[in-house]
Amino acid sequence: MAVCIAVIAKENYPLYIRSIPTENELKFHYTVHTSLDVVDEKISAMGKALVDQRELYLGLLYPTEDYKVYGYMTNSKVKFVMVVDSSNTALRDNEIRSMFRKLHNSYTDVMCNPFYNPGDCIHSRAFDNMVTSMMMQVC
Amino acid sequence: MSRQASRGTESKKMSSELFTLTYGALVTQLCKDYENDEDVNKQLDKMGYNIGVRLIEDFLARSSVGRCHDFRETADVIAKVAFKMYLGITPSITNWSPAGDEFSLILENNPLVDFVELPDNHSSLIYSNLLCGVLRGALEMVQMAVDVKFVQDTLKGDGVTEIRMKFVRRIEDNLPAGEE
Repeated sequence: MAVCIAVIAKENYPLYIRSIPTENELKFHYTVHTSLDVVDEKISAMGKALVDQRELYLGLLYPTEDYKVYGYMTNSKVKFVMVVDSSNTALRDNEIRSMFRKLHNSYTDVMCNPFYNPGDCIHSRAFDNMVTSMMMQVC
Repeated sequence: MSRQASRGTESKKMSSELFTLTYGALVTQLCKDYENDEDVNKQLDKMGYNIGVRLIEDFLARSSVGRCHDFRETADVIAKVAFKMYLGITPSITNWSPAGDEFSLILENNPLVDFVELPDNHSSLIYSNLLCGVLRGALEMVQMAVDVKFVQDTLKGDGVTEIRMKFVRRIEDNLPAGEE
């Protein structure tokens, strides 16, 4: 159901990005890239005190004609961005939330792998499979 | 004796993540220090051996198990008491050889490998090889020479982790002449 899932490092470079229509990959890279500005905007709008106790889920970042972009930021300032087909109206906010939570858990496992160096691109098979399953679900 | 009294028989609790990450850091550091995986495996085994020869004293003091009469009993004690005490798991014992000198320990889940994914360039690394060394070292101190190796590993895509143990020989005590 998600068409593109990206993990962005604290310093705003991509750790992981995957999309299903592979021929249009570049377009999704742009979409994710622009969404980072919206993330920054949302965070700075919240004010200092709120940032500390905010929810990790940032909600809908922006809709385009064909897609909706959702964001999530961990307390370590790693961002998850998910692009969803807007024709998929069945997808509720709650489900997006739980997908992000799943993504976060999986990312935590990747970080705990002693062979993974923090800051490197993610090449984990387990993470890959999890992302694939999230993209497959309803399609 | 006072030491034993102060420690008691209850097992101390420790965060499993801390344990797993500590072991992970140890193995990755060895991978950085040594050129190839075989050297790392050897080093892990050696470290395990050094742990084993010490750990057996602690084990005997705390578990109050007596002398084993045959290798089957030893296998039972290792799986049901030792693994339970130190790793919190109880592996199952299977695949006895007809002669009764060789068996397999099947670990359903190995606490050492939580989170771990072997990268492709370490395909011959035996990540949990420390365990082999521990078993070898501990049994050597109770006059048993054994051969221990991993035959299956969940990290390499197998369904379970299997440690094969083979009894080699009894180590005779070299008693000084004149004594019994």
